[in-house]
Amino acid sequence: MCTTHSRGSAEPVPPFTSLFLERPAKRDVAARNVNTVLGPVDADQLGVTLIGESLKYVLPGAEYAFDITIDRAEVFETLAAKLSAFKAAGGGTIVDATGMFMGRDLRLYESLSRETGVHIVATSGQGPESMLGGYFLTPQTNPPTPWPAQKFGELFGREVNEGMVVPRLERRATAGMICTAVTATGMTPTDSSLVRGASRAAATYGVPVYIRNGADAPAELALVLEETLPADRLVMGGMDRRDAVARGWPLALAQAGARVGIDHIGTEGSDFLTDAERGALITSLIGAGHADKIVLSSSATGVAFGEPGNDLPFTHILERFVPLLQAAGVSQEHIDQMLIANAAQLLAVTGDIQ
Amino acid sequence: MTRVNTVLGTVPAAELGFVAIHEHIGYGMPGCELDSKWWKTPEERYNETVPKLRTFHENAQPWGAATFVDATGICNGRDLDYYKSLSAKTEVHIVASTGFVGGDTALPFFERASVEYLTDQFIHEIDVGIGSSGAKAGIIKVGVSRGFKMKDLDKRIYRAAARASKATGAPIFTHLAVDSGPALEIFAEEGLPCHRVLFGHADDGISQGRIDEQSLLDAGGRIGFDTFGYDLELPDPPFWGRKRQERLDHFLRYLNNGLIDQVLASADANCSPLGWPGVKGHTVNYLFDELLPDLRQAGIDDVMIDRLFARNPAEFLSLQPIADH
Repeated sequence: MCTTHSRGSAEPVPPFTSLFLERPAKRDVAARNVNTVLGPVDADQLGVTLIGESLKYVLPGAEYAFDITIDRAEVFETLAAKLSAFKAAGGGTIVDATGMFMGRDLRLYESLSRETGVHIVATSGQGPESMLGGYFLTPQTNPPTPWPAQKFGELFGREVNEGMVVPRLERRATAGMICTAVTATGMTPTDSSLVRGASRAAATYGVPVYIRNGADAPAELALVLEETLPADRLVMGGMDRRDAVARGWPLALAQAGARVGIDHIGTEGSDFLTDAERGALITSLIGAGHADKIVLSSSATGVAFGEPGNDLPFTHILERFVPLLQAAGVSQEHIDQMLIANAAQLLAVTGDIQ
Repeated sequence: MTRVNTVLGTVPAAELGFVAIHEHIGYGMPGCELDSKWWKTPEERYNETVPKLRTFHENAQPWGAATFVDATGICNGRDLDYYKSLSAKTEVHIVASTGFVGGDTALPFFERASVEYLTDQFIHEIDVGIGSSGAKAGIIKVGVSRGFKMKDLDKRIYRAAARASKATGAPIFTHLAVDSGPALEIFAEEGLPCHRVLFGHADDGISQGRIDEQSLLDAGGRIGFDTFGYDLELPDPPFWGRKRQERLDHFLRYLNNGLIDQVLASADANCSPLGWPGVKGHTVNYLFDELLPDLRQAGIDDVMIDRLFARNPAEFLSLQPIADH
């Protein structure tokens, strides 16, 4: 779908991008607020935060499959158990970095947050191109031109400014982050529109952007910067992929000021570092003075429909990876910085928290 | 015994009455549900939809009943529980479809699926039901993606539809009749006779010059004149619109040349569109308000009109499983 749907070339850079979006809504501007599914929460209250997990993941379309039943009570029980275990292990906040079109279930997340006491941050955004619905790729116009960056910026921006959608019904809490992704084999023109739109909305409304890295992290960062979003408002995910490390991207992105997402902790294999190698990568980044750039997650899927999840518990980082970091000589101060302070700074809506 | 699947259960074909063979309660491209610019309250949706269906029911009284075939495939806003409530309160028979409007409306889960899985999906929706609604699909939708050329995913959907049609007996209708070569090949390979297939939108403006009508006819296929009312004379016509008289003349050529049994007609109107503005004022009742008077004025008698809108679509919609030999 990626190649067949890609048409046209990337858009030129617009000047003063934020002026093209609706003015941010007036609200109680406590500079340290984080948008959670239950409303704004002081960034100091987040505690240990996993920045890029999935609570309920649904491969788009799987909800219509004849042989897939999504039992809401069972989903709740499974997720509540996993979140409670995370809480018991010392966790505070989970960011559901799944975006708006892959199973996001706001009412379920609200109930889960109330039930377990874990803060849940839900996110806007979608991508890569192959995950989009035809509405964005082959609209009912002649010719069917895919959506440009500006329209994605408006779609995502409204979820931050007015509330995230329960499709065709209502808007609920505002989004805490905008997540997108770039095609693994290379950025398509629509991927580029998604990254630009996400960055444009984030620059206007003060939330961070999370990119699941495609094939060229520096080029993706360049698009974000062109949209006037400061580098420290970007999490570049996938920085614990072997190819990313081989090409020196974690250090390069940190040097450029971006947040480096070590975000597949617990997944090992030919594409990813082992957890021990992740420890070494983190040690070297800290040694280079970039402790403030590192954010951690497992990309764990709480429940998954339509394709297999990864069965990683939300406790993996606290119970398995932190001891590994400690054994590797990473100080508690740095561990707290990565798991608490960096995430709080990133998710605080103005980004100003020190 | 004849059987037709409607959203409220299986009925004898004789009960269908006047049939609009290609319509939409509400159609939207996948993903449009995320864009609140199109949202309407349930009150607005019912207010836009119920009066059109009641009028349809009243218009169809000379035929005893009205049947609305909904051509909204999987992922396009198809909503069986809503259709059931509409049908129960207006008495209009609603026939729902399984399948996809085209490859570019099939979401990633189905894009990755095999022909065998897609076949199972369609058969399940026809024989067992759609989701948890209990309602069974009565027809299978397939179609050509944007660009007038069948894509690989389109072809997999056509092949799965052919297999499901043979197994369940449900007919197939297509979105677009362009690039029909691969479609005819697939139906021949799968052993599905083409009188079980309605090649739709053969009358729209943008398809003219791109349809090999003769090969469709030679294969025994049915030709869909199913966008009646999308006229270029409208104040803001859609890009697939066509001059009203030109479409009518096209249709009359079939009726006047002994091909009445190979055509079916409809309006492809949305009662309440989901992800596009729709065309103001265009409803299924165009068939009664405009088309039937036009046909009568052109000398088409009531016997022919019955064949077009009652007898032939009833025969088409009747479940007719085809055994492999």
